[in-house]
Amino acid sequence: MNANIPVLFRSYQSQETHSGCKIWEAARATSAAPTFFKHIEIGNKQSFIDGGIGCNNPSKLVLKEAQVAFPAQKIGCLVSIGTGQAQVISIGTPGFFQQIVPTDVIDALKAISTDCEATHEDMLLLFANSPNIYFRINVEQGMQGIKLSEWGKMANVEAHTMQYLKKKEVDEELISLINAIQSPKAQLMMEQFGMKQFVVYIKF
Amino acid sequence: MDVDTAINAYNNLVQRVFSDPKQWPGDGRFKATKLEEVIKSVVRNVTGDPEELLLEVSNASICRT
Repeated sequence: MNANIPVLFRSYQSQETHSGCKIWEAARATSAAPTFFKHIEIGNKQSFIDGGIGCNNPSKLVLKEAQVAFPAQKIGCLVSIGTGQAQVISIGTPGFFQQIVPTDVIDALKAISTDCEATHEDMLLLFANSPNIYFRINVEQGMQGIKLSEWGKMANVEAHTMQYLKKKEVDEELISLINAIQSPKAQLMMEQFGMKQFVVYIKF
Repeated sequence: MDVDTAINAYNNLVQRVFSDPKQWPGDGRFKATKLEEVIKSVVRNVTGDPEELLLEVSNASICRT
């Protein structure tokens, strides 16, 4: 397995479509978080693990994909939805499992936190002169203590989310976001992004 | 799937998958077979076929051939 090269599973035609891939296989592949579930092999014995390893914030990949799929069209709106601050993605206590999970995967997990926020910063910079295109919604506080497997804490997740949504600045951003989706301004051509830069960035 | 249905499906999935860890954790602490079973039941509920392909054949909005 190579955690450094993200693979996109598409429900639409593209040059790289995984023909014959089933919905459950794609769902299973993107859930294969190391230490939680074993990896999955799809098609020609290709091995997949959860993209959280190298690509927890896929905003740049999405832009690159949009450029390929809609080269002549303008971009209306990009919404990035986070799952809380980075500590949320807890892999549990190292020790026994660390012997099983390759050390490069452990290192990659540690890098997720910085990666997510760094990508967000890059996107802010990229859209700095084009307001109301890029939005990121992310419950910043309270999710840190909740692990992926703690299904009994769903009420806490809901409470933290409601609190986040009540914040004045979040409420205002949501109103702009809804406007942007309902009546996209289509301000920027895809080519205007200097996508060559991205190709370099994507290699985590 | 609307949002409420999706949230309910997720709640059901995490409960069924994470309440039943492996007795002998090897490659992962939870049973991938259990996860597959629950995912397939969601796909069956929504599409009618648990083995439904990911690729949508008649997607006029994006197919550019």
